[in-house]
Amino acid sequence: MSLAQQTFGGSGLSRIASGLIWRLEHAFERARASGKPEDDTRIRIFVLLAMFGLLFVALAVFATRATVFSDAGKGDGWTPPIGAARADLVDRNGQMLAADLLHYGLYIDPREIWDLGETRRVLTAALPEMSPLRLEKALSGNRRVFVVGGLTPEVRATIHDLGLPGVSFEPEQKRVYPLNYTAAHLIGFADTGGLGLAGAEAALNDQVRAAAASHGSVPLSIDLRIQATVEDELYKACAQFRPKGGVGVVINVHTGEILALANYPTFDPNRPGAYSLDARLNRAAQSIYEMGSTFKGFTVATGLDTGVATPTSTFDATHPYQLGYRTIHDYHATHKILTLVEVFQHSSNIGTARLGEEIGPERLHAYFDRFGLTQPAKTELLESARPLTPRKWDIDAIASTSFGHGINVTPLALARAYSGLLNGGELLPLTIKKLPAGTVVHGPRMIKESTALTLLQIMRSNVTGGSGKSANVPGLNVGGKTGTGDKWEPAARRYSSTKQVSSFAAVFPTDGALSDPRYFVLVLMDEPQRTTGVDPTGGIVAAPAAGRIIERIAPFLGVKPRPETFPFSQVPEDPSGEEH
Amino acid sequence: MNWLNRRVRGFRLIDLVAFSVLACLILGVYLAKTIAGRERTEIARIDRQIDDEKARIRLLQAEVSHLEEPQRIERLSEAYLGLAPAPMKHRANLDQLPALAGTPAAAPAKPFQPSVDPMQIAAPQPPAPLPEATQMAAVAQPGGPQ
Repeated sequence: MSLAQQTFGGSGLSRIASGLIWRLEHAFERARASGKPEDDTRIRIFVLLAMFGLLFVALAVFATRATVFSDAGKGDGWTPPIGAARADLVDRNGQMLAADLLHYGLYIDPREIWDLGETRRVLTAALPEMSPLRLEKALSGNRRVFVVGGLTPEVRATIHDLGLPGVSFEPEQKRVYPLNYTAAHLIGFADTGGLGLAGAEAALNDQVRAAAASHGSVPLSIDLRIQATVEDELYKACAQFRPKGGVGVVINVHTGEILALANYPTFDPNRPGAYSLDARLNRAAQSIYEMGSTFKGFTVATGLDTGVATPTSTFDATHPYQLGYRTIHDYHATHKILTLVEVFQHSSNIGTARLGEEIGPERLHAYFDRFGLTQPAKTELLESARPLTPRKWDIDAIASTSFGHGINVTPLALARAYSGLLNGGELLPLTIKKLPAGTVVHGPRMIKESTALTLLQIMRSNVTGGSGKSANVPGLNVGGKTGTGDKWEPAARRYSSTKQVSSFAAVFPTDGALSDPRYFVLVLMDEPQRTTGVDPTGGIVAAPAAGRIIERIAPFLGVKPRPETFPFSQVPEDPSGEEH
Repeated sequence: MNWLNRRVRGFRLIDLVAFSVLACLILGVYLAKTIAGRERTEIARIDRQIDDEKARIRLLQAEVSHLEEPQRIERLSEAYLGLAPAPMKHRANLDQLPALAGTPAAAPAKPFQPSVDPMQIAAPQPPAPLPEATQMAAVAQPGGPQ
């Protein structure tokens, strides 16, 4: 008996095993005896065992690696919650303007509730704002239904801790605008499905969604500090003059970035449905106005650029002027012969109309085209409205458009055109997106650089010695142009003498090279009230607000106090003696 | 290869070694799976905790943003601290300080107008109808912009 047989004893199973091993041992011996070691079964078995062993070791190594060093816990640990479709909107300094936040929806399954009365009582106490009707409907139903959404994690935890059977929660994303009405019209709002409906939310919808996938944010061009200042001063002015609407805009003229865009009345984008369409109207982009005398800047720029006039050219404003179908008067009649600068300073309709007549309808139309005044303001905002322009550019059109009547444009279109005039003469698109620092933007040339420089000085002279005095801020060399456009009343088919659009288009600083930092500020009020005993003209209602805005935002923009300039304080006589 | 053919209690050493290695591997894999499962559960728990914390951080960021609403800060600073924006004439560069040292104090700034809640601004009143004579004048002189 072999050793194997001795070891395994006498049971049936062990006998079979012993027999197998015995036969195997004999097979080894037979192979050795026949002199064919390659037939040695032990070698074959050893090779097989080694192969299986290696395979098993490999499997073990991979299995261990897969379990111990799995990808679980790798990455940034942040998984986009259900429905997280939109990235954060932030201002140019990274301040949060809009965000998707995790909230919870409360669901009730009445089939699982033991005590309906207790559930009703507890939920009503925990969620006093919940509609009792909706709760009752859910409790009396026979399936799981949604009851209320937008619960914060804290509220959810409070209710969850009550341990109410049949009450459950599901995560949901809610678009939140933490600054309430601040920059509401620029930020806009999105629907519960994650689709932008207004403002930047609609204009940058695709970008916001793409940024959400990479957990990024979308920086807007606005500076929250400037935005808040503009809103503060606009609302103060609106509280004083109680207009139907108001607009405040600040633009970097070299990049076209909108640094602030304020509207009155305003709304809370967290509850857009709670406000009227009028409150949600982005007047800066959607409303078109006959701007009035702020358009004189365009006519004067055209006159200078075409060589029709120089700052010292003179225009007869001694009497009302008949041009086309219209007799043109001056609001503050000077009954004098005025230089071009004085025409601008006194905001003389007669002088501007005479200048417009010399420019001619074709050239004025061509220049207004170049200024972008005959198209919607080029910006990402989908709300940007088309202007109303004269059907025919003839002498009648000049009699109106040269000083801002007969042509209706949006405040943004006006701001874009002025920004182009003041940046050296290039028409740039306005943007609500933050551009990288140092970005140089170029656009089609509107006017010569020399014209832009002259216009800057004329606008400055209007603040030092013209209708825009109340916008002056010592040390900032503010320039600007007032505007008061009477509103057309279609029903009465006449211009109203009580309803105006009063505005002030400002620029600062006006000194230095054309490439120096420069900012455009527009304050506009639609139908301001006569609350101070004087006519609510642009110089009364808008210019002071613009001045206060400029004084407050200059430090944010890094504009330092500088020596004051007083251009054209002594306008010499026109050497040619020619009277315009 | 003699040592491979040595027998211990009837079993060849190579078989015993292979069996031992096999047993060790089985035990090792079992232990690795068990420990890894426990670690995986812990990782998932920490992941959930991180997600919760991140959601909470975002909520707090939104809360901070809400509390830092400029108009709110301005109202509070006016009401409790008496602060107001510094007027231009009260601003100076460091270079200007020596020159300002000898000059008399600047005149106090104009009283600052308190902030206004846009939701509280009174609605505009409809303009009073004009006397007929004025209306006729308005028709005769369309537009008096300045």
